[in-house]
Amino acid sequence: MEPVTRRSFLVTGSVGAAGAATAFGTGWALSAANDNEAALSQDEIDDLNGPLVVQLTNAAAGELEVLVGEREVTFTDKALAARLLRAAKS
Amino acid sequence: MSSHREAPSILKDPLADNTDTYAFVTPNNTVTIVTNYVPVQAPAGGPNFYEFGDDVTYQINIDNNGDGKADVTYQFRFENKITNPNTFLYNTGPIDSLTSANWNRRQTYSVTRITRQGASLLAKGLACPPCNVGPRSTPNYSGLADEAIYTMPRGERVFAGQRADAFFVDLGSVFDLGTLRPFQNLHLIPTAAADGRDSLARANVHTIAIEIPIPRATQRDDVPRDPMKQSATIGVWGAAYRQKATLRDRSGRASFAGPWMQVSRLGNPLFNEVIVPMARKDEWNAVRPHQDSSFAKFVAQPELAKLLPVLYPGVFPNLKALTKDRADLLAVLLTGIPAGLIPGFQNFTGRTQADMLRLNLAIPPSATPNRLGLLGGDLAGFPNGRRLTDDVVTIELRAVAGATYPLVDPTFTPDDAVSAVEDGTFNNPGRQLLDRFPYMGLPYSGYDVP
Repeated sequence: MEPVTRRSFLVTGSVGAAGAATAFGTGWALSAANDNEAALSQDEIDDLNGPLVVQLTNAAAGELEVLVGEREVTFTDKALAARLLRAAKS
Repeated sequence: MSSHREAPSILKDPLADNTDTYAFVTPNNTVTIVTNYVPVQAPAGGPNFYEFGDDVTYQINIDNNGDGKADVTYQFRFENKITNPNTFLYNTGPIDSLTSANWNRRQTYSVTRITRQGASLLAKGLACPPCNVGPRSTPNYSGLADEAIYTMPRGERVFAGQRADAFFVDLGSVFDLGTLRPFQNLHLIPTAAADGRDSLARANVHTIAIEIPIPRATQRDDVPRDPMKQSATIGVWGAAYRQKATLRDRSGRASFAGPWMQVSRLGNPLFNEVIVPMARKDEWNAVRPHQDSSFAKFVAQPELAKLLPVLYPGVFPNLKALTKDRADLLAVLLTGIPAGLIPGFQNFTGRTQADMLRLNLAIPPSATPNRLGLLGGDLAGFPNGRRLTDDVVTIELRAVAGATYPLVDPTFTPDDAVSAVEDGTFNNPGRQLLDRFPYMGLPYSGYDVP
């Protein structure tokens, strides 16, 4: 039995890139020009009451893992992966 | 040690380090399970005395259908509180109750029971006792400890807090090239024979103990009466979990994100310590018992069985000649002992190879416990569960040396030396084990044991 709150949420396909990018905070210089997702609502922002960590698990395939609360979400977004890598080099 | 600092990663994380797990049948149709953490505590270690991790999830896991997966889990989570932010002291006066205003750094915890039907919060805000500081700070320690025993609505009793380590072992000897002090004169590098020395004789640990009504642990919600039924046996292990990511801010605070990852576990004593090669010990702590088949080859051909004839030339000739896979150890440690090998006994849980402490709940407690458990003819002792007094180091040394191989091959004769193999540290009266829940003895005080 896993700890009760542990849930593996395996999400295939794309999850809102704007949400992941926004959660990094203002210190990240991601290109706004590529941010074509809808703006976050205040409720969505308020829901985030702890750190959100993104791990690029496979750069070539664009596989990312988001850790938030007691969950992990994995998804594929090659464009976001590329933006993260390039931001890391800036 | 049983599992104190037994792997490269967990030795750096003592708050999550599961040192020992015990499980034994107790009066009134209950089973008591004890899991210990925070190893080798020097009792005087203040002012920041020992505690559980408020960033660790601790679990007692019970498999009641033999698949090596938990069917019933008791989960413990801790919270810290600082009462007085203006002092560096653990306490600013005598702590005479669990609500004493003099006690500055305290812990409470919650207990959640998890089954396939869901999770149920059994209790929250339960207080741990303070550490045993000394006669001025904790003048009535036994009273404080008793105050921290709680009975929950469905009948479970719990305790979480500091205790004297019940485990005993001669570490200084055994890790000096496998020396067994009672006959180190026969070692490849001989020294004079001497008595064993218990390396943990004055060390404390942190204990999570729970007494469970047996129907709350079994597959059929019953009290097993027939020891020969497979459903009479449960598999037990303790485990600790940390969240996947840790982040630190510039003020020194840590925050966490992600799912809980297993960082420590313990079913049978010494499994990770002396069976699993060092290069795979961290992996063993991370995987679940039902995944243990990949470690079975280390049980079938244990390194220690090959070392003994080398370290003690001429002492273990029959063991040296035994090259077959050790079906006896595979049964004892990974599947349980099937029916037909020991009259009136089995604790077989099925074909799934999983390191769990297997306890046949239909075997009543022994009126005259033998420290050698099954090897001593006592069906209520290790490896049928594990009691605090079972001499598991000696039992496992003898088993590895060949004592249990006749169970699967009656033509095999153990070497004469096997019955003399001892750890030599049995029965330290300082531990003052209790004859009642939570059974672990009161912790050594820092004032008395600097």
